[in-house]
Amino acid sequence: MKIARVLAVSLLLAAAPSGAQDFPAKPVQLMVAYPAGGSTDVAARIVAALAEKHLGQSIVILNKGGAGGQVGWTEMSRQKPDGYYLGFINLPALNTVILDPERKAAFGIDAFVPVINQVLDPGVIWVKADSPFKSLKDVLEAAKRTPSKLSAATTGILSDDHLAILMVEEASPGATFRLVHFEGGAPQMTAILGGHVDLAFDNVGSIVRRVRSGEVRALAVMDPRRSPFLPDVPTTPELGYPSVVSSSTRGIAAVKGTPASVIKKLEASFRKAMEDPEHVKKMEDAGLAMRIMVGEEYANYYRELHAKAAKYTEWARSRAQK
Amino acid sequence: MEGLQFLASGFAAALSIQNLLFALAGCVLGTLIGVLPGLGPAAGTAILIPLTFKLDPTGAIIMLAAIYYGAMYGGTITSVLINVPGEAASVVTCLDGYQMARQGRAGTALGIAAIGSFVGGVVAALALAMVAPPLARFALSFGPPEFFSLMFLGLCLVTGLAGASLVAGLLMTLFGLLLALIGIDPVRGAPRFTFGIVELYDGLGFVPVVMGLFGVAEILLTIEKPFRQALATRIEGLWPNREEWKRSGGAIGRGTVIGFLLGLIPGVGAVIPTFMAYIVEKRLSRNPEKFGTGVIEGVAAPETANNAYANASMIPLLVLGVPSSPTIAVLMGAFIINGLTPGPFLFKERPDLVWAVIASFFIGNVILLFLNLPLVGLWARLLRVPYQYLCAGTLLFCVVGAYSLKGALFDVGVMLVFGVVGYLLRKLDFPLAPAVLALILAPFMEKSLRTSLEISGGDFGIFLERPISATLLVLAALIVAVATSRLAALKSIRRGP
Repeated sequence: MKIARVLAVSLLLAAAPSGAQDFPAKPVQLMVAYPAGGSTDVAARIVAALAEKHLGQSIVILNKGGAGGQVGWTEMSRQKPDGYYLGFINLPALNTVILDPERKAAFGIDAFVPVINQVLDPGVIWVKADSPFKSLKDVLEAAKRTPSKLSAATTGILSDDHLAILMVEEASPGATFRLVHFEGGAPQMTAILGGHVDLAFDNVGSIVRRVRSGEVRALAVMDPRRSPFLPDVPTTPELGYPSVVSSSTRGIAAVKGTPASVIKKLEASFRKAMEDPEHVKKMEDAGLAMRIMVGEEYANYYRELHAKAAKYTEWARSRAQK
Repeated sequence: MEGLQFLASGFAAALSIQNLLFALAGCVLGTLIGVLPGLGPAAGTAILIPLTFKLDPTGAIIMLAAIYYGAMYGGTITSVLINVPGEAASVVTCLDGYQMARQGRAGTALGIAAIGSFVGGVVAALALAMVAPPLARFALSFGPPEFFSLMFLGLCLVTGLAGASLVAGLLMTLFGLLLALIGIDPVRGAPRFTFGIVELYDGLGFVPVVMGLFGVAEILLTIEKPFRQALATRIEGLWPNREEWKRSGGAIGRGTVIGFLLGLIPGVGAVIPTFMAYIVEKRLSRNPEKFGTGVIEGVAAPETANNAYANASMIPLLVLGVPSSPTIAVLMGAFIINGLTPGPFLFKERPDLVWAVIASFFIGNVILLFLNLPLVGLWARLLRVPYQYLCAGTLLFCVVGAYSLKGALFDVGVMLVFGVVGYLLRKLDFPLAPAVLALILAPFMEKSLRTSLEISGGDFGIFLERPISATLLVLAALIVAVATSRLAALKSIRRGP
C-alpha cells in the first residue's frame, strides 16, 4: 500500500514537467569543473562508467576547467533543470567562489541541488621528513614562540587548506603563521622538499605516497576519523582541537528545479555504482577516500559547510598578511 | 653514468612499433610545418594537441616533440630555395643558403644543414641524458626566489637580443607581461582586466595568441607579397666535398655548443641561438666580408645551433617545469593534459616516460636525416604548390585548432584579433618573440615573485641574499649592459664620427 502511494505521488509529481517519468531518455552529461586528468576527473570517469548500466543511458564527461571551477559552475547554473546536465561540485572550492565578493559569481549556493557525495579527502598537516617538528604540538609551540615567522604553505588562496590554517590559528590562540600560497599541490611539494617553506596543509590523498616513501611526515589529520591511508597519524580532535576539521569533498549535483523523481533516480543509480566493489577498488587504488552521502545528510552537509566557509572566508579576507 | 643506463631502457620503449610510428609521424609533420612558410612549430603543435587527447601520453609527447625539432630541419629547405624562412629559426639561413642555391649549390647547402642539424640534435640529446638527472636533484634547491631570478634572466636575454632596438624589445616584453596580467590574480584570487567575461578568468590562452601572432599574421603578410617561385635548380651533390667539410666542421661544433648553452636558459627562443652562431662564425672567419655571398659556414652554424637548442630547451622543462619557448609551452600543456607535471619529480616518478621521450630524440634525428637527405627533392616539390591554396588550408587548420582546444569559439576570436595585432606589429618592425615569451613566463614569474615575498614577509632582499638567485640577477644586469652598449655602438657608427 505504502509503496503504491509513494509511487502514485511521485508519478504525479513527475508527470508535471514533461518527460520526467521516462528519465533518462537520452545521454546524460556530467560536467567536471577541472581539466581532464585531475583527481576530480579521474573519480568522475570511474563512477560514470559504472553508473551507465544502472541509469540505462550513457554518461558523457564534459571537462569545463578554469578559474578554480568557476567557469564550469557558471555554465552549469545556466542549464535546463531536467537532469540531463549534472556536475561535480567540489566543496569548499564552490563555496569560496560564491563567498568571495571579488569573484562576482553569477550563481549562489541555491543554484545547485546536491545529489550524492563521492569523495571526502581530509586535510592533513605535514612537514618534510627531516623537519625538527615531530608533532602538531611542536609546531604550535614554535608558532607561539615566534609568531608569524613559521611559513605555512597552502595549495591556493581560499582553498580548504587556507581555511584550515585559520582554524588552527583560532583553536590555538597566539599561534600565527606566515601564509605562503602555492597554486596546487605540485609546487607546494617542491617547495617543502626543497626546504623553502616550514610546513604545509594539503589533503591526505596528495601526500600518502610520499609519507610511505619516507620523504614527508604527516603530523595530524583534520577529520573526526583516522584516515585508513594513514592509520598511525592522530586526528586533530584526538589532539584536543575538535573545531579543526577540514576536508575537500566531491559529489554530484543537479541544477536547481530538477524534478524530485529525477533526483531520486539519479541518486539510486549513482549509489549503486559507488557501492560496486569495482568502484571501491579503483578509488582505493587512486588514493581517494570515499564517503557516500545522499539526501538530507548531503544537503545538510552542503549548507553547514557553506556557513562555516563563510566565516573563514570573511576572516581570510580581512586578515592582514604577515 | 646512470643517465646512459636509463637511456638504454628508454630505447627499448621508444623502439616499440607504436612509438616508432609516432616518432615518424611527428618527423614528417614537423618537416612539413617547417617547409610551409607561415606555419611554425608553435602553431603547428598547438593545432595538433587536441588530436593527442586520446593517445597514450608517451606516444603523444614523442610525436609533439618530433614536430618541434622536425620543423627545425624543414625550415631550412624553404630558406634555401625561396629565400623565405620556413619558420623563424631559419631566418639567418636565408643569408648564405639562398646565395648558395643561386650558385647551383642548393644541394650542398641542404646537405650540410641536414648533417649539422643531426650532429647538433644528437649531441644535445646525449648531453641532456647525462646532465638532466643530476640537475633534477639540484633543482630542489631552486625555491621561488631562484625561479624568479632565472626567468628574469631569460627575459633580459630576449629583450636585449631580440632586435635592432632595445626600446622596441622592452616595449614588446612589457606588452607580453601586460597581456599576462589578464585573469585571476594568482595570490589574492581577484579577477584582473577581465571586464566580467568569465572566459578571461584564466587569462588569454597563449596557444590562440601564438597561433594568431605567428600563424594568422604570417598568412596575412604572405598574401600581400607576390608569389615567389622556388628556384628551379636541381638538387644534387648533397654530400659536401673535402674542402667544405673542413670549413663546416668547426662551425658545426661551435653551433652545437652555442645552441645547447642557450637552451638551458628559459625564454631565449630558437631564433637567438641561430643569430649568435652566425655572428660567431663571421667574427672568427678570415674572410668575414664573404658572409652573405653563399659561404657554407653561414648555413652550417645556425642550422646546427637551432637543433642543438631545440633538444637542450627540453632541460628547463623536464628539470624545472619552466617552458623556454612557445613550442615547449605547448608541449608542457601536453604533459599537463595527461596528468603529468614537468619538474624535478618527473624523472623519479615517470622514468619510463621521460627516458622513452629522450631516447626518441635520437631516433627522430635519424629519421629526419633520411627525410632530409635522400628525400629532400620531395619536400622541394611541395614548395611549387601556389600560396593561395596553402594559405587557405593553413588558416582553416588554425581556426579548427583554436576551436578544438577547449571547444570554445572565444579562442577563435582571440586568435583572429592577435592575427591582426601581429600583422600590424610586424609591419612596424616590432619583434614578436619577446611579447610571446613574456606572456608565457609571466604567470610563473609573478607566482614566484609573490611567493618569495610571502616567504620573506615582504622583504625584497631575499633575491640578493640567496647565492644562486643573486648570481642569476648579476648575469641579467650584465646582459642588459652589454646589449645597451652594443646598440649604442651601432648608433654611433650610423651617425658617423
